[in-house]
Amino acid sequence: MEKDGRPNWDSPMQFVLACVSYAVGLGNVWRFPYLCQLHGGGGFLIPYLIMLLLEGLPLFYMELAIGQKMRLGSIGAWTSISPYLGGLGLASVVTSLYLCLYYNVINAWSFWYLFHSFQSVLPWGVCPINSNRTGPTEECEVATPTQYFFYRETLNISSSIEEHGGIHTGQALCLVLAWAITYLFIVRGVKSTGKVVYFTATFPYLVLFIYLIRGVTLYGAINGLKYMFTPKMAELANPRAWINAATQIFFSLGLGFGSLIAFASYNQYNNNFQNQAIVVSLINSGTSIFASIVTFAIYGFKATLNYEDCLDRMRILLLNTFDLAEDAISMDSVLEWIEKLNTTYPEQFAQIADKVREGECNLEKELDTAVEGTGLAFIVYSEAIKNMPLPQLWSVLYFFMLLLLGIGSMLGNITAIITPLRDFKIMSRFLAGLVCVFCLLLGLGFTTTSGNYWFTIFNDYAATFSLLFIVLIEVIAVSYIYGIKRFEKDIEDMLGHRPNWYWKIMWAVTSPLLLIGLFIFYIISYIQGGTPTYQAWNKELGESVVTEYPVFGQVFIVLLLVSSVSCVPLTALYAFCRKRKERAYENTKIS
Amino acid sequence: MIAYADFKIESLAYFSKKMPNHVRWVLQQIKSRIERLNALFRPVMHYNCSAHHEGTNMTEEASNISSDTAAYPWSKNEMFLFRAALAFAMRDYTNGEEFGVSDIHPCDETKRVSFWFVVTRPNTTDLVDKGTVEMAIKKSRNRINGAFLLTDQTLEFDGIYPTLAAPVSPDTPPWLIVFGVVMGAVSVGIIALLAYPLVQRKLKKNKDADDEDSDEETGVKTAEIGANDGIYNSTFSDDERFTQM
Repeated sequence: MEKDGRPNWDSPMQFVLACVSYAVGLGNVWRFPYLCQLHGGGGFLIPYLIMLLLEGLPLFYMELAIGQKMRLGSIGAWTSISPYLGGLGLASVVTSLYLCLYYNVINAWSFWYLFHSFQSVLPWGVCPINSNRTGPTEECEVATPTQYFFYRETLNISSSIEEHGGIHTGQALCLVLAWAITYLFIVRGVKSTGKVVYFTATFPYLVLFIYLIRGVTLYGAINGLKYMFTPKMAELANPRAWINAATQIFFSLGLGFGSLIAFASYNQYNNNFQNQAIVVSLINSGTSIFASIVTFAIYGFKATLNYEDCLDRMRILLLNTFDLAEDAISMDSVLEWIEKLNTTYPEQFAQIADKVREGECNLEKELDTAVEGTGLAFIVYSEAIKNMPLPQLWSVLYFFMLLLLGIGSMLGNITAIITPLRDFKIMSRFLAGLVCVFCLLLGLGFTTTSGNYWFTIFNDYAATFSLLFIVLIEVIAVSYIYGIKRFEKDIEDMLGHRPNWYWKIMWAVTSPLLLIGLFIFYIISYIQGGTPTYQAWNKELGESVVTEYPVFGQVFIVLLLVSSVSCVPLTALYAFCRKRKERAYENTKIS
Repeated sequence: MIAYADFKIESLAYFSKKMPNHVRWVLQQIKSRIERLNALFRPVMHYNCSAHHEGTNMTEEASNISSDTAAYPWSKNEMFLFRAALAFAMRDYTNGEEFGVSDIHPCDETKRVSFWFVVTRPNTTDLVDKGTVEMAIKKSRNRINGAFLLTDQTLEFDGIYPTLAAPVSPDTPPWLIVFGVVMGAVSVGIIALLAYPLVQRKLKKNKDADDEDSDEETGVKTAEIGANDGIYNSTFSDDERFTQM
């Protein structure tokens, strides 16, 4: 305990692990591989690493410095920097609250899948049988079993955001469990969080390593790896690649939520956070690259499997139509046979020509299906897992890893809410429990039949734009309002040496410019994008259909954005009015 | 070949009205010769199978990922087994009518191990209708599959859809059991963490209460000496409460 009674991490290692656990989250596993694939494989690493140096590292360092110096949560810390900037902290808290609301739903899904892995046949591997017992249910036949399990059994999704329905009890139970575990890990503050992060930060790496070995030894994994590592340098000319790299670094490090400030506020005053900042950022990026190797090995396996299944279906079709002997066509010669039979028996071939064309087998096309987000984690990966030998083991390992990544990030998000509120000393004993119960009750809304569409709204809009705004104001505030000179002196006070020219240039010039650029780009793409759309699951077609948001959906999106962003000007206005009142009061007192 | 030969000969006969007489005689000879031949051998009833649609496609698929797709070794013996299995199915369905191997007639065999077949009633040439044969196969599908060590997916009867096994629904879904275990552990953890400081405090209070009890006795004694009036210097106080005699 320090003199001011603030709890501390037991050791600097706990702090580092807490930051790693927070920063290394689901985005490293399901967003980075997608971006890599989208922007030319190995070549994407170049903009990624450059952006890490230009904005990731400096901003991470800055947030840690603020937290460690002010020893308060985000609201208190920014109020100390300037009384007009308290709104920044408040905006961070609001954004963290939105994140907490929907993020634990992902953990609930991970729990659901984890619990369903303890069966002899994985439920997403086979279709359930229809009532006549003549075949699989229609929805499952049109889609794949993994999609059916996710959309129907896990989410029980409705066909659009307007259609409401009841709560999915299984999901609700898993959500309660997710919040119970979160509460368990934060109930004693940094003392409990500090012990838990030893596990949540390190175990995912063990699983990733096991999966790496399993992944590269899978049949066909080499196709995926080759696809990833052949850089398509032409993509570097595309500005989208650089923008996506910047955004990915930004969100991956978890800047602007106030979690880093909160974690750092529990540090010893002289903790050497400079090295820690570098270490954590590098670990975060390294994990992204590591995870994408694993993901691409698994992509390669799945794509090769689908390709060979496709070839086999073609083979059977040819054998049945032309009544050839069983071993006349082998897997390798299917395509030649198609050519041969087309020329020798054109009329017969014409009958099945449609089926052949639509079932066109193409390995590149299979590898090209880039998926991100929940689709990757819960559909693509589970499909790959069900084909591995001993699928239950791999399934348990994988979803447990997802859980740990998710819970690790949740700890940071919840701490970001609780720490500033605790600083105000209101109901500090029950605060953790109250926040958890509140978020749980609101989160139950995401377990209804249209819940996944609301989840998508939160996922796409709650934290993206507001964070950019927050961090932009942060870096401008520190560089110009607080002043680089004062900031330098504070750091010297804590570390014993001043930050060198690299950090100062980044804070004062490069990062603000980059962030302004990103900000403008986001505004332009929002305006140009027209009506925002979402993917609605259509159960007759067995696939997702692009649908526009209804009016209330769009209004809600605007509310989400405005509610967090407006905290900054509103609080500044409030502080301004209070100061004016105080000055007026003092003037009346003097006179 | 009787029906076919009849038909062919009839059509020839039609044309032969225009033929010279000696040709008709030749044809009559051919017909009688065939009849005599047929009387010698057991009648093999060979039907035009496509008129009676009962088809089988026997397909061997690679049922798993591995690349060696060994073709099913088809031979005359396997065909015999098939006919025997089908005869069994017919017997089982009709409760004892003595179908034999000779009542199952495959035809139009292809290299694909795919053929049509028809079934006739025992000791007659009456065909068994398609519906009955289908029901019989449906009833004994597992046994027929088992005879060939194949599955519903690898041994296909055209037009007969396999009745899938009823889904096994356990009383408690297995996921709920695991959920219960984890939830129980978490609840115990939360209660333990919340109760721990309370328990600590209670233990400390009990310890304090014990210390106070022992202090009270000496406190009474020291009060008599008047030690509470001033600063009690414990340097010269005896460890024992009673002075030794």
